[in-house]
Amino acid sequence: MSGVAAVAVRGLVKRFGALEVLRRVSLAAEEGEVIGILGASGSGKSTLLRCINGLDHADEGEVIVGGETIAMRPCRGGGRVPAERRQLDRIRASLGFVFQGFNLWSHRTVLENVIEAPIHVQHRPRAEVVAEAEALLEKVGIAEKRNHYPAHLSGGQQQRAAIARALAMRPRVLLFDEPTSALDPELVGEVLRVIRSLAEEGRTMLLVTHEMGFAREVSDRIVFLHQGRIECEGAPQALFADPPSERFRAFIARWREERRLRGEL
Amino acid sequence: MGFLGETFLAILPGVPTTLVLMALSVAAGFVLAVLFALARLSGLPVIAPAVRLYVFVFRGTPLAIQMFLIYFGLAQFPEVRASALWPYLREPFWCAVLALTLNTAAYGSEIVRGGILSVPRGEVEAARAAGMSGGLLLRRIVGPIALRNALPAYGNELILMVKATSLASMVTLLEVTGLAARIISTTYRVFETFAVAAVIYLAINGALAWLVARAERRLSPERSGAARTGPDLGLAR
Amino acid sequence: MPEWLVSYWALMGFGPTGWGVQMLRAAAMTVAVSASGFALGAVLGGLAAWGRLSASRVGAAVAATYTTVIRGIPELLVIYLVFFGGAAVLGWIWRSVWAGEGFVSLPAFIAGFIAVGICNGAYQAEVFRGAFRTIARGEIEAGRAAGMGQLLLARRVILPQLLRFALPGLGNCWQLCLKESALISVTGLVELLRQSFIGGRSTRNFFAFLLTGAALYLVITTVSSALFALAERRALRSLGRAP
Repeated sequence: MSGVAAVAVRGLVKRFGALEVLRRVSLAAEEGEVIGILGASGSGKSTLLRCINGLDHADEGEVIVGGETIAMRPCRGGGRVPAERRQLDRIRASLGFVFQGFNLWSHRTVLENVIEAPIHVQHRPRAEVVAEAEALLEKVGIAEKRNHYPAHLSGGQQQRAAIARALAMRPRVLLFDEPTSALDPELVGEVLRVIRSLAEEGRTMLLVTHEMGFAREVSDRIVFLHQGRIECEGAPQALFADPPSERFRAFIARWREERRLRGEL
Repeated sequence: MGFLGETFLAILPGVPTTLVLMALSVAAGFVLAVLFALARLSGLPVIAPAVRLYVFVFRGTPLAIQMFLIYFGLAQFPEVRASALWPYLREPFWCAVLALTLNTAAYGSEIVRGGILSVPRGEVEAARAAGMSGGLLLRRIVGPIALRNALPAYGNELILMVKATSLASMVTLLEVTGLAARIISTTYRVFETFAVAAVIYLAINGALAWLVARAERRLSPERSGAARTGPDLGLAR
Repeated sequence: MPEWLVSYWALMGFGPTGWGVQMLRAAAMTVAVSASGFALGAVLGGLAAWGRLSASRVGAAVAATYTTVIRGIPELLVIYLVFFGGAAVLGWIWRSVWAGEGFVSLPAFIAGFIAVGICNGAYQAEVFRGAFRTIARGEIEAGRAAGMGQLLLARRVILPQLLRFALPGLGNCWQLCLKESALISVTGLVELLRQSFIGGRSTRNFFAFLLTGAALYLVITTVSSALFALAERRALRSLGRAP
């Protein structure tokens, strides 16, 4: 294991008004590690991810990407904001973020979506970026949609395009914020297949998801968040087979019950 | 030739004036509108409230009184008459352009602001997540989407501006309405003159509406029903 | 008190040299002609909206022509048409029916509010059309299914709801009336703009008078907005549900 974690957070605290959404969360992901982040709604999973790439700002604690701490400063209203815009933009460009709502740019075609940031943020030569984008679209399986606009793609296709867009930035770490939660059930599989292949390639990934079975299969480590704190973490098989925490046990039981009701077990 | 034909030829010289008035004030007004919209959205102290006040005043008072203030009101100050701007401010044409510009800037800024606010938050977040910020974010993502969303309302504003140029006749300028009024008061052929002037304005506004509709269609291939695709950026196969 | 304020008050106040009374009277004239025009606009707009929705092709065509043409030409042109055209028509009637002599002019107020009414009616028609489309199709169908005739349907289902949905648009139309009233000054009607101009020309102080006039317009438009907002809130409350 290399000494420097790919991405780490230390003692993150985040409040929305009186509500504490993250309470001293510390987590580190090594290079090539896939971390599955599980928890009930409101447990702080998405907020954690969004604090890492600066879409939300933690009130206390540090975010460290590749050994570099994101500098913060206090702002009006009591919270904190990033101190250096340039540093934040640079770090964001090294983190690939996949949204629950895909968030493809509606005025650009699929291919244009993928090449936008590499060209305009990373200033890479256009020919190289387009070639790589074509290959990525091929890899996620929507090469034939390259010149279509997002509105004409299904949810699963849009999410795969969004993943290609994130990959085009050549990120060190991929952050997935509930990538399949907004998809119709029959479209979930195609996206999970892409995520699995990325995990098998050895990419560093933080995967916030409700797909517990998938998380168990694909992750090197599972982290279970409850009301803003890490309740338990560890290797997936061990954790699921013998839950060290009562709450996690209850969480798994609810999941199994739900699957039974849906006829999957 | 007939009276209609004569009237048409008599009013025609006013058309370029109308069009130039409109073009100049729309162009300058749009630039100001974008600046004001950004200023308001920035939330900066002093600047944002000042723009709010400006918009409130210029939308709450008639264009006619704004034009009068600039043409008659400014002229009474010796400082204005001595200034370098006087050659312009004494001309009804430039006073009209200034009044029209300031007026459309106020309405336009609200339209642009609405357009910017209508950009889906998720798409802005995705751009930020990719490392875009500031001018890049505005130029590549927010701007294009905002403009596309604002186009219908702004197209309407353009048509209102063509009609607004008629007010320049109240400060002695001889654009289409000014010429029509002069012909009516000298020949008393009210209905024919009105008909000719009306047809001219309807032609201008009709053409404008058609251009705006075309622009809307071109900017929104992604929204039209057919799966029209964008330019093929891929490498040759 | 600062000197400029003293001289302003002497000019605009209610003293012997003050123009305050005239300005306020002119402001009242502005409101009067705007209100009359707005009322006429409501009638014309209602008719036009009804025409466009009606089955009669001629009615729909006439209404559509009216709204499209009027919204495409300057209000000033309509004012000239009504003022001079009205005088021409009256003059023709005067000469042919009563064998009178000379010209008859249409009183400025009447020409003014008719012109405002014609122009505003076109916009109000669009407001009513939009409001009508917002009323749930289902409620109208339910009325038909219950055997309500056109008139009963209109009275009991459509009209009560129409006003609620039309209020915001009507607020806009009212503001248009106020702006247009300033244009009536070309007929010589002494509303606020004309009065400001007269005062300014007389005292060679256009700026003070026009600025005061502008301030008075702002007062009128602000009070109007507040009243319309109040009306909208009350309309929402009395009908129970959110828009």
